[in-house]
Amino acid sequence: MNDRAISSFSSRAARHGDTLELLLEGDANMNAVDEMGRILDEVHSSAIREPTALVVIDVRNLEFMNSSCFKKFVTWLGRVQELPAESQYKIRFLSDPKMHWQRRSLHVLQCFAAELVTIET
Amino acid sequence: MTQATTPAKEPRVYFEIIFRPSVILTTVVRRFITDFYENVIDSEDSVSRLALATHELLENSVKYGMPDETTTLSVDLDQREGTVTIRTSNRSVSPHLEALQRRFAEMHAAPNAFRHYQQLLRETARETNVSGLGLARIRCEGEMEMDLKVEGDLVRISAVSRTGSEFAP
Repeated sequence: MNDRAISSFSSRAARHGDTLELLLEGDANMNAVDEMGRILDEVHSSAIREPTALVVIDVRNLEFMNSSCFKKFVTWLGRVQELPAESQYKIRFLSDPKMHWQRRSLHVLQCFAAELVTIET
Repeated sequence: MTQATTPAKEPRVYFEIIFRPSVILTTVVRRFITDFYENVIDSEDSVSRLALATHELLENSVKYGMPDETTTLSVDLDQREGTVTIRTSNRSVSPHLEALQRRFAEMHAAPNAFRHYQQLLRETARETNVSGLGLARIRCEGEMEMDLKVEGDLVRISAVSRTGSEFAP
């Protein structure tokens, strides 16, 4: 079986001024855990290296995210919370209301870091 | 894979899938099961919850099961009781068995699933190598009642959803 064809995961990041945009697509299962961690590390490094007010995460085409990938978001949010207040940046998720797991999981993240996270549908 | 589904209007629908766990099959089985749920449950939100629970339970068996051993996944929809029960059974080894028992004991000691989940997020946020969130996620995001039975090295986990009147007509 072709592993990638069955459970592909992809990401694309871009910067526009003080906004970082991260597009996540596909199936964030066990195969995607290391990559998810690496991507979020890179986003965080970029956000503290250059002036960044907002990181936009587009998950509208993310079919599923397992708990290990979800945990990478928790760790990332924890790192942002540990920054001095003036260095913290906001995080906005773009979600698809038809993907019900997104509403539940993103709500959990928003409750974990209410001062940082907003959700747009 | 064994046994087939029965028509949606049956008062009880039950099937089992026996497979050698792998990352690829976890996704394949989740998609298959999602198709099945969509045909028998008249709520997209419930289908999503059940698919999430199924995936997390299967990944659990991949991560913590014995290599080269099979996992049995069963799904039991009981329209009379208004429940969907997902069960996995697989063999595991001592450190994992104890970790599972500890996590279930913590869950059962915490009556509020959401608060327990948030507490777990805070406790594990700094740990980069371990997730440890899967079971609490099923309980909270999946809104399911969880149970664990360990007999020797055999692990049986069940997750029960009370879907009420959401079965497809």
